[in-house]
Amino acid sequence: MTERMMIRLIENAAQLFLLLALAPLVTGVIRTLKARLQTRRGPGILQPYRDLRKLFRKGMVIPETASWIFAATPWVVFFSTLLAGLMIPMVAAEAPLGLFGGVLAVIYLLGLGRFFLALSGLDSGSSFGGLGSSREMTISALAEPAMMLAIFTVAIGAGSTGLTEIAGAAIGQNWRFLAPAQMFAFAALALVLIAETGRIPVDNPDTHLELTMIHEAMILEYSGPYLALIEWAVSIKQLVLMTLLINCFWPIGLQPTWFGFGALQGIGWLLAKLLFLSCAIVLLETVNAKMRLFRVPELLAVAFTLGSLALVSTFLF
Amino acid sequence: MLMMPLLNLQLGDRIVTLMAALVLVLQIAMVSQRWIVIHIRIFAAQSLFLAMIAATIAWFNHAPHLYVAAALTLVVKVILVPILFERLVKRMEIHEEIEPFVNVPLSVVIAGGLTLVGYVVAASFYRPDAPGLGHNALAVAISLFLIGFFTMINRRKALTQVLALLSLENGLFLAAISLTYGMPLIVELGIFFDVLVAAMVLGILVYRIRETFESVDVSRLRRLRG
Repeated sequence: MTERMMIRLIENAAQLFLLLALAPLVTGVIRTLKARLQTRRGPGILQPYRDLRKLFRKGMVIPETASWIFAATPWVVFFSTLLAGLMIPMVAAEAPLGLFGGVLAVIYLLGLGRFFLALSGLDSGSSFGGLGSSREMTISALAEPAMMLAIFTVAIGAGSTGLTEIAGAAIGQNWRFLAPAQMFAFAALALVLIAETGRIPVDNPDTHLELTMIHEAMILEYSGPYLALIEWAVSIKQLVLMTLLINCFWPIGLQPTWFGFGALQGIGWLLAKLLFLSCAIVLLETVNAKMRLFRVPELLAVAFTLGSLALVSTFLF
Repeated sequence: MLMMPLLNLQLGDRIVTLMAALVLVLQIAMVSQRWIVIHIRIFAAQSLFLAMIAATIAWFNHAPHLYVAAALTLVVKVILVPILFERLVKRMEIHEEIEPFVNVPLSVVIAGGLTLVGYVVAASFYRPDAPGLGHNALAVAISLFLIGFFTMINRRKALTQVLALLSLENGLFLAAISLTYGMPLIVELGIFFDVLVAAMVLGILVYRIRETFESVDVSRLRRLRG
């Protein structure tokens, strides 16, 4: 029993480390690439780490009107996101906590974090917080069905909603994403990724302009270590969603298990695919302008329609 | 193992299915688009994929006269008609957005529903024993047809209605090449000439409507005016 347990523990620790260490890097790479594309120098890809270190050393200001929800939210968001991250296949198809729940658990763990963020936005009593919460919930209510439909399309192919099974079924089918159903599902999930991570056509992660901000408005009252926890969780969430997209649709280089040399190869492929997806996101952010809030439902309606087409076309053909 | 060993026909079927899916995505993008110039460009892209489908079928089914159809699609629908329309847009100085009768999110969902209808109808034509390419393509063709009709009903401005009509015609073309692997060349030549003439006549008509009514909004065409 012990050897198996040890391997499990090592897997868990490795993926935990990868999530914590890689997430700020992905954010940094996206920021730097975007700056370069706009012919700015940019802060360098290590800036998110420096930001986190700086924030963890600072003191905190907590609003007088805030209740325990304000203090609990950063922890809930951070750990629910981390738990969701341990349930998805990153380097190998076998997810460390895959036995605890499938893709539905991942989606609703992320949903739990979002719920608490929205509550804390209301809790602080500032008008911006409430505004951000209502916007965030509007968008997520529209994005979630599209995400579900896309994920179910992939799950039907694997015959299970367990992510280990889904990723395992994808291994060896490197060209599967060219099938129409997979392509519709990929497009739907990519649109949802943009909406969920607050990228440009939907939300601008770099601005604090009151007319446009969604995510930033909710966390406006946070400072110091709490803000650091939330920022870290947000970048982990982005990494989790990107990895989910990558490993469901581009299984090239995904290993069946974590053993030995294969794990290194898996990490290499993961990094390469993440870089590719980051470049795509950067390109999309640079050529698009931010949408008006009332236009966002149109984008998500397209995602929803693509998702339902994906699901239906797997049944019909 | 990057490329699986496939029969030629299966590979052709896959390529056609993939491109048909892209054509369908572009059709739905057209429903959701508000800017007329981008709408015209999406139509050009859709026609480009259609030309590629025709070329693929010509290659895998050894039907050389389909190359002519592909080339004609390329010249007429990808180059000539979009240039004609963009010039028209520039000359009429259309700056405002397209305002559909049904709002955009609902339109997109309706377009999705119409696609389902297309798939269901095409499924009744499906024969597992029939050899050949592109059963999916027929479903996409019927969907293009239905969505094109819906877009025509849904739009106020004459120019966008013409664009919808042309995308509907794309659906007809796709159905024709995926079912018959190419009609006789003379029929296709006739159709392309038709499309070009129709686009020009409609372009002039749109311009006239605007001259007379100071708008291309067809919902204003109720009053008679001497």
